[in-house]
Amino acid sequence: MATNAATRSAADRAGPDGPADHAVRTEALWKIYPQEPRPVEAVRGVDLTVERGEFVAMAGPSGSGKTTVLNLLGGLTRPTRGKVWIDGLELSALPDRKLAAVRQNHIGFVFQSYNLLPMLTALENAEFTLMLQGVPARERRERVLRLFHEIGLEGMEHRRPFKLSGGQQQRVAVARAVLGAPALVLADEPTANLDSTTAEALLDVMQQLNRDKGTTFVFSTHDPRVMKRAGRLIRLVDGRIAEDVVRGGG
Amino acid sequence: MGRLPTLAWLALRNLGREFRRSALTAAAMALGLALLIWSRSLADGAHEDWIDAGVRLGEGHVTFTASGYRDSKSLDDRLSAAQLEVALRALGEVEFPDAFATAPPLASVRVETRGLASSPDGALPVFIVGVQPSVEPGFSRLGEEVVDGRYLEEGDRLHAFIGASLAERLGVRTGSRMVLTAQSASGDIEGQLVRVVGTYRTGVQGLDESLVHILLATARAWLGVEGATSVAVLLPNSTFTDPVRGELDSATRPDGIQVVGWPESLPDLYAALQLDDGGDWAFHVILFIIVALAILNAIFMSVLNRKRELGLLRALGLSGGETGLVVYIEGVLLTGASGIVGVALGMVIVFVFFRDGMDLSGLMPDDINFGGIAFDPVMVPVIQARHVVQSVLLTATIGLAASLFPAWHAARLDPAESVKVE
Ligand SMILES: Nc1ncnc2c1ncn2[C@@H]1O[C@H](COP(=O)(O)OP(=O)(O)OP(=O)(O)O)[C@@H](O)[C@H]1O
Ligand SMILES: [Mg+2]
Repeated sequence: MATNAATRSAADRAGPDGPADHAVRTEALWKIYPQEPRPVEAVRGVDLTVERGEFVAMAGPSGSGKTTVLNLLGGLTRPTRGKVWIDGLELSALPDRKLAAVRQNHIGFVFQSYNLLPMLTALENAEFTLMLQGVPARERRERVLRLFHEIGLEGMEHRRPFKLSGGQQQRVAVARAVLGAPALVLADEPTANLDSTTAEALLDVMQQLNRDKGTTFVFSTHDPRVMKRAGRLIRLVDGRIAEDVVRGGG
Repeated sequence: MGRLPTLAWLALRNLGREFRRSALTAAAMALGLALLIWSRSLADGAHEDWIDAGVRLGEGHVTFTASGYRDSKSLDDRLSAAQLEVALRALGEVEFPDAFATAPPLASVRVETRGLASSPDGALPVFIVGVQPSVEPGFSRLGEEVVDGRYLEEGDRLHAFIGASLAERLGVRTGSRMVLTAQSASGDIEGQLVRVVGTYRTGVQGLDESLVHILLATARAWLGVEGATSVAVLLPNSTFTDPVRGELDSATRPDGIQVVGWPESLPDLYAALQLDDGGDWAFHVILFIIVALAILNAIFMSVLNRKRELGLLRALGLSGGETGLVVYIEGVLLTGASGIVGVALGMVIVFVFFRDGMDLSGLMPDDINFGGIAFDPVMVPVIQARHVVQSVLLTATIGLAASLFPAWHAARLDPAESVKVE
C-alpha cells in the first residue's frame, strides 16, 4: 500500500472507521438514473477505498459505469444511495456550495477532451484552481511555470487552447488538476483522444507526478497499454466491481 | 463575496472571446437606446413648441390671480395694487440656474374682461385685454401676425389692436373708430372709444374673431381698476413650471394670491401632451421588449453553446449560483457598455444631425392647428435630462431582466451532464 501522502494531516478528520487516511472511500454506492421505460442502474453497490498516493486504473466495457463512478467520487453527481468520503469528508450531506468547495480543494478533474477554458491562456487555465483557492498571483505563476518546465510545457504559457495539440491540452489539464494539491485526481479516459505515443507521454507525466509529488490518480480507460501502467486495476461490469487487482509498483 | 472579482474577470474574458457576438448584442441595445433618446428629444422638442405656443396665448407657464378669479372671472376678484406688488416681488426672488439664465422670465401684467365691440355696422362679443406694450410683443407675439397697421405702442392711449376677422365683421379697418363696452369695477356699464391701430391674423378663428388688445393704462382708467386681473409669466422653458409655481405659491398664498401652472390653465393641451407621451411610451416599451428578446436570445444561445465550459467551471469548484453569476455579470457588462455607447450615440445623433431640427412640413397640411395652437412643422429636438435618465433606466432594466433567465438556466445546469457534451 502506498503511503507517500505524509504531507497531509488527516488525523483530525474521522471516517467511518477511525482516522481517515484514505484519499477516497465509498460505501454501498448506487446511482440510478430515472429513465423510461425503466430506471438505469448505472452503479450498483460499489465499495471502494483508494489510499493516498495510489495510481489506479478503472477499466470495463462501455456503459459499465466508469464515468458515473468517477463523477460520484468527485462530487460532480450525487449518489442515489450510499456514501462517499473524500479526505474524510462525507459528501452526501453537503449542500451544493460546500460540494463545489470540495471539488475545488480536494479533487482534480481531467476529462477526455475540451478540458480547458477557451478564453484563457494555457497558463491561466493551469493556475485557475490556485486562483479560486486564493493563492497570490506571484506564487501561482511560479508554481505553474515550474510545473510546466517539469512536464514539457515550456513556451506554451501564453497560447490559447486551440493553438495547443491534443496532448499539450491534456497536459495543461493534468497540471491544473495537480496544482490544487487535491486528495485525488480523477481522469476520465484522459488518453482516449490521443495517439499511442502521445498517450504514453501523458501517462509518463501522470506517473511522474504520482511518484514525485504523491498525487493520487484514478483514471478510466479502454486502452490495455494504459491499464498496464497502473499500480491497481479495477474492472467494472454492469455497475459493479468485478475485479480489483493491486500489482504494486505503479 | 470574495470571489466576485474572479467571476467578473471570467465574465469579461468570455465577452472578449466572443467579441463579435458581444459587440452585436451590445450594438443592438445601444442602438435601441440611442433611438429612444433621439425620438424622446424630438417629442420633447415638439411638446415644448406646443406648450410655448399654448402659453403665449395668454396664460403663460404660470399665472398669478387673486384667489376666486379663476371661477368668477369677475373684476371684483382682481389683484389689488398691493397684491400685484407682492406677486412681482416674489417672481423677482426666484433664482434660475445659470445655464438657463439666457432668457429671464417675462411677466405680463393684464386687465382682462369680456365686453362688446360696436361699430356702425353692429356689435360683437369680444375678449378685451389691457397689456403693457413694452412686454406684450415678446409674450404673445401677436405683433408678428400684423395684417395691416401695427401693434400697440406706448402712448396709444385710445387705440386697439384687433383680429382681421373681427375687423371684417364690424366693417372697420386701421384708422377706424369703434366703441368697447364692458362692466366696470363699480358695476356700471362703461363705454370706451378707441381707434383701430392695426389688425392681425393668427389663423386661429377663435382669436381672430374676438381678441382685442388695448393698453393696460387705458383698461385701468376705463374700468376703474388699480391692480390687474392677472399676471402671466413666461419662464425660460416649461420644465421650470412645477418648481417655480410651487415656490411662488408658497410665497404669495398668504396674500390671497393664487398661482397656477399651465397644465391647470390649459388642461386640454396638457391632456393632449399626456396622451401623446403615453403613446410614445407604449411604443418604446414594445420596441424595447423586442430588443430584450434579441438580447435574451443572444445570451441564452451563448449559454447553450457553452454548456461544456460551464460544466467545467462547476467541476473546477464554482457553485451553480456562481456559474449563473458569471453569465449574469456578462449581461450586466453588456448592458453597461450599451448604456454608455447608447447615450453617446443618442447625443451625437441629436446634436450633430438634428441640431437645426427636422422639417416635417412636407408631411403636414399647411395650417394644422390643434385646440387653438398652431403647429410648427420644424421639430427641434430638446434633450431633457429626466427623459435621458428614464431611457437609460428602461434600457438597463430590460438588459438586466433579459440576462436573468440565461443566468438562472446556467445556474441550474447539471454539472455531470454538462461536461459530457462534446
Ligand atoms: N444522465 C443519464 N441518464 C440516464 N442514463 C445514464 C446517464 N448517464 C449515464 N447513463 C447510463 O449509465 C450507464 C453507465 O454510463 P457511464 O457513462 O458511466 O459508462 P462508461 O463506463 O463511462 O461508458 P463509456 O466507456 O462508454 O464511457 C450507461 O448505461 C449509461 O447509458
Ligand atoms: Mg465514460
